[in-house]
Amino acid sequence: MTSSKKLSIGNIVKNYTLEIILVALAIILTFVTPHFLTLNNLMNILRNISLQGVVAFGMTIVIVCGELDLSLSSSIALTGVLIGLIGGKLDAAGIMPLQYGVLVGIAAAFVVCTCVGLINGWLITRFRIPAMIVTLAMQNILYGIAAIISNGFPVITFPAWYSFIGSGRIFGIVPVPVIILAVVFAITAFVLSYTKFGRATFACGGNAEAARLSGINVKRTKIISMVIVQLCCVVSGIMLSSQVMSGTFSFARGWEMNAISSVIIGGASIAGGIGKMRGTLLGIIFLGILLNGMTLLNVNDYIQYVVRGCLIIFAVLLSTLKNKK
Amino acid sequence: MSVLETNRVSKQYPGTLALDEVSVSFEGGKIHALVGKNGSGKSTLVNIFSGAVPASGGTVLLNGSPISFKNPAEAQQNGIATVYQELSLVPGLTVAENILIGRMPMKGPMVDWKKTRKIAQELLEELGIDISPNDVVSDLTVWQCQMVEIAKAMSFDPKVLQLDEPTSSLAQNEVESLFRIIRKLREKDVIVLYITHKLQELWQIADTCTVLRDGKLIGTEQISELSRRQLIGMMFGDVEVKTRPEDLRYGEDVVLKVEHLSDGHRFTDVSFELHKGEVLGIAGMLGSGRTELLNCIFGAQKAAGGAIWLHGEEIKDPNPEMMNRKGVAMTQEDRKRLGVNLDARISDNLCYASLQRLGKGIMVDRAKEKQYVARQVADLGIKVADVNYLVSSLSGGNQQKVVVGNWLNIEPTVMLFDEPSRGIDVNAKQQIFQIIWDQARKGISSIMVSSELEELIEVCHRILILRNGVIERTVLPQDVSIEDLYAISMGE
Repeated sequence: MTSSKKLSIGNIVKNYTLEIILVALAIILTFVTPHFLTLNNLMNILRNISLQGVVAFGMTIVIVCGELDLSLSSSIALTGVLIGLIGGKLDAAGIMPLQYGVLVGIAAAFVVCTCVGLINGWLITRFRIPAMIVTLAMQNILYGIAAIISNGFPVITFPAWYSFIGSGRIFGIVPVPVIILAVVFAITAFVLSYTKFGRATFACGGNAEAARLSGINVKRTKIISMVIVQLCCVVSGIMLSSQVMSGTFSFARGWEMNAISSVIIGGASIAGGIGKMRGTLLGIIFLGILLNGMTLLNVNDYIQYVVRGCLIIFAVLLSTLKNKK
Repeated sequence: MSVLETNRVSKQYPGTLALDEVSVSFEGGKIHALVGKNGSGKSTLVNIFSGAVPASGGTVLLNGSPISFKNPAEAQQNGIATVYQELSLVPGLTVAENILIGRMPMKGPMVDWKKTRKIAQELLEELGIDISPNDVVSDLTVWQCQMVEIAKAMSFDPKVLQLDEPTSSLAQNEVESLFRIIRKLREKDVIVLYITHKLQELWQIADTCTVLRDGKLIGTEQISELSRRQLIGMMFGDVEVKTRPEDLRYGEDVVLKVEHLSDGHRFTDVSFELHKGEVLGIAGMLGSGRTELLNCIFGAQKAAGGAIWLHGEEIKDPNPEMMNRKGVAMTQEDRKRLGVNLDARISDNLCYASLQRLGKGIMVDRAKEKQYVARQVADLGIKVADVNYLVSSLSGGNQQKVVVGNWLNIEPTVMLFDEPSRGIDVNAKQQIFQIIWDQARKGISSIMVSSELEELIEVCHRILILRNGVIERTVLPQDVSIEDLYAISMGE
């Protein structure tokens, strides 16, 4: 525990490590590349992190609860495929025009992903199968399903208004995904800090057996957290398919790793019980700036993979060392 | 003949003298029982022999030469083997692999399986253990594992074999099989040190009995010349029992009724009634089924049969969530593992049980939460600078108060305390008892389980004595001496 209230330099560094690194990184990038500190680029960064940020918030709840969800990349892709497919089919069958058909698709995606979360949670809590295995298997299943129903082709039946969600800008400046990111952040942060479910999440992740013996419904809490992250996937999937006006089964590969790294960089414990939504927000901004900086500096795409991977190991190492003392 | 001696061995821990100049000697070819109640220093002595802790003073001599070990591995190499209560076998490996783990005979770079099996087979036969070396350990029962542990320890050809509570998780017939093996060790000039809580076993298995109390050696006697009364007198001495406050009376109303409850394993056919405002004690040694009994009432584990009635309503298939809603609380014996969330703040830990009461709907009412936390910190006298500190920063006594406070926040009508004084200091103990009495005055009924039986005499209105899973007797504290209580609990 921090010996709070004392405003020594040491405490500031300890409590705001990530903020300090973030500012330092921004200052360095400002000096090395003229393109970094421009309104356009900053908005770009925010837009880029929004899609993955939304799922990282959901993932924070899951990780605090002591579980993981690796299936989310497939859920994101499946969402886009479902929306385009259902909208297109309804239009083709003359039941309703494409404008409204995609709304049915969105509803369907929410239902499907809720079920995915329920099944994940049920398998984890009922049979005590590790979340990593359950959700990795689910990732494959959903990937396959998305490919089957779309015949392996991108689905491109989207109405024109749909592109506003992913590419629109409010007042011509603020990208719509950034607004969505802010809303999802507010909701998930609120859930984690102000609801009974949020308290139960920390209790379950910290010591599940003690929580159960305190009369907390551990199974229900875990299942709800697995559903929440899937709902975030739908939101992310809508933004992604809207940005490219296409639903493709192979979208969003590897996003679960980015989500997990943001959460861990943000200070959550991979063992559960510790984590903050604010930390995750900083984590995704940090990752976003880093990737943006590398792109601006023309760093090879594959090197970016290496950097990202190293960063995850480093962040987990740091959190393990911190929690050990 | 081998001899293990200690010469004025002491062990100082911060704040306590666990062993106080103990001088004792054990001869080979005999089984030496080492007894004493919790905190008597017998575990410390075992740990010094096994190399787990160093002595702070005095010398240990094996066959006349002084020994001291840096770690258990070194002790084992020098002829002192210890079999602990917690088994250390690898479940997925065979008996032969487990016995010879880490030192299997090799043929070049490969394990010589034939020889491995042969060595294990010979060892098992020599000890008269009827288990195949090819059996996989996960297929064995607990007592068979216990025998494999002994075989493993004996494969080091030790001069001293320490057995720490080997029967604590065994059934009666299994105990006899184990004893047969242990008796065979007498023929081998091994010094067997046998540590147990179950006094009735001593006359079956031991040759001598060494009693420790409060870190001091009380004496060593030939077991054949010792009566049970004498032994209990040696173990407990004159214990001062503090009396319960006069004003604690309990009512007529039956709050909780348990009928023919059993868990199908540890306890059977337990029936009793708990009255309004009553503090009921359950006396029982380790393995008597006391924790399982509370767990079944609380729904933390499934009962195999019997009925539970709470305020006249039959409780079917209880679980902790349901019992919490019905106003039943339970504090766990293993506080760090089951009682608190060490990673969380004190304030969080005080509001887990009462989470559903913290405001309407899905929201946590922060003002109410603050009030719940403040109430328990004040009422229970939890010494803490800031409730935002982690609960792991608290002393054992204060952590226990947090556990109790967590439950008092649900305003329970029945509280189940499993070893509430475990691992906390004398002052904190008295404060916890005071809390139990205060609750009793408010009409809350409690059940308290303890293996420190003098505590039950001090705290409770009535005491059920649980032995080997059945209620042996019900006594009133004023009618029973501590010696009697221990004698009945341990089996007279």
